[in-house]
Amino acid sequence: MSDAKHAVEVYDVHKKFSYSRHKNNSLKRAITQVFKKKDHSHSEFYALNGISFNVEKGDFFGILGRNGSGKSTLLKIISEIYQPTSGSAKHHGKLVSFIELGVGFQPELTGRENIYLNGALLGFSKSEIDDMYDDIVSFAELEKFMNQNLKNYSSGMKVRLAFSVAIRAKADILVLDEVLAVGDAAFRKKCNTYFETLKDDKKTVILVTHSMGDVRKYCNKAIVIEKGQIIYEGGSEGAVEAYQGLFE
Amino acid sequence: MANKYMKKYRYSLILLRELVIVDFKLRYQGSVLGYLWALLRPLFLFVIMYVFFVKVLDIGKEIPHWGVALLLGIVMWNFFQEVVKQGLKSVTKNGGIIRKINFPKYIIVVSTSLSAVINLLINLVVVVIFAAVDGVSPSWGMLLIPLFLVELYIFGTGLAFFLSAVNVKFRDIDYIWEIITQALFYGSAIMFPLNRVVDASREAAIIVSVSPITQAIQDARFFGVTKAVDSTHTITSSMFVIAAPYVITVLMFVIGALYFRRRSPYFAEDI
Repeated sequence: MSDAKHAVEVYDVHKKFSYSRHKNNSLKRAITQVFKKKDHSHSEFYALNGISFNVEKGDFFGILGRNGSGKSTLLKIISEIYQPTSGSAKHHGKLVSFIELGVGFQPELTGRENIYLNGALLGFSKSEIDDMYDDIVSFAELEKFMNQNLKNYSSGMKVRLAFSVAIRAKADILVLDEVLAVGDAAFRKKCNTYFETLKDDKKTVILVTHSMGDVRKYCNKAIVIEKGQIIYEGGSEGAVEAYQGLFE
Repeated sequence: MANKYMKKYRYSLILLRELVIVDFKLRYQGSVLGYLWALLRPLFLFVIMYVFFVKVLDIGKEIPHWGVALLLGIVMWNFFQEVVKQGLKSVTKNGGIIRKINFPKYIIVVSTSLSAVINLLINLVVVVIFAAVDGVSPSWGMLLIPLFLVELYIFGTGLAFFLSAVNVKFRDIDYIWEIITQALFYGSAIMFPLNRVVDASREAAIIVSVSPITQAIQDARFFGVTKAVDSTHTITSSMFVIAAPYVITVLMFVIGALYFRRRSPYFAEDI
């Protein structure tokens, strides 16, 4: 593989979104637009405006910023869910991202069936999940509920189940979007343990969070984004200051 | 590099398998007889159609085993219809996953089409039962039926690739396709033998036979059930017309797959 040092390389990424005043997924609008010379109901918006940074292998990398600053868009570009309008985002090694926990959960299926579905989305075959099944269930503390439909679970139970599957993901680079913003104290404790393990295993982690405590505790580097641009890049302590400066 | 492709392929297979299973489970979720419906539903529907079209109406009376030919045609049509209709909705239906995870998008369309294949196989079991009861004698020609099923699958999946990608931007496709479906249904000579169209106008019969749907269904009837029905090669000797449905099938698949591949990186933001 090229460049052994960097796990993620983001170079001059711009991301443009086009918004219509009316939602433009009907044929009628597409046809009427052909006849209009200039379409005034169209507006463009740059969510990211020239973002460049590198994440080194083993970094616990924080991304901070206000709501709407472009953090999630950036994560989706790194995770190859969105395409950058210009610039590039590359990664070296297997990347798994958690933009949300429990993606693809089916309320009409049982907890057990959802483990297999969610595991498959992470790339685990049936036999691989068979082997981890008991551990997943006991870690989620949901032994009694596995044959119940997911629609009967409380939101806390769903998160526990999703998290329990998620931490099984085998990846060189993990991208986490505020996944720890949910759950009670017991859940947070499990999250902390998981983060410690990631740190000890020298995994590369990219973390979006609003928790300054987490940034101080885990991140060795961080960037702060405002209006689609990086306004700070460096150590975690400086990042916390720069972030808090946004609100003064 | 080879290893990298193996990994990619492996992920697709795991996901494909799981999505087909989930789809099948969800379909019969909450019903008392469960999966048994997969077999009972076509069985009852066929009995009703058989009685109505063969015993009450006189259509196809002159053709031996027309009832079986009719059922085979309906089963093949339903298969094609399911591949396209479910396929074209599949991408937008899975918008929640597409917006949160990066995975090969074609898996969604392929898994939907494989669910249709499972249904087809179950329905074919019922057709075989009817054929046995009706006294259709086994023939080598029956071995050609899978070929026509594969042809329909490829044509339908190609269309599903194309339409599902267009449907992300223009949700009208769902309604437009429903109208086209009606035209195709009557134009493909499914509820009546192609002979009727030939009687009215040989030119019209040749024109509808260019469609892979008409050709696959009529050929399956001709080779598998009864030589008394007309099919593309019985109404024309032009190699151009006989080859046309196969060319259209391959073209549709290539165009559909290429268009889908070009559009799929933008599904997450367009949905």
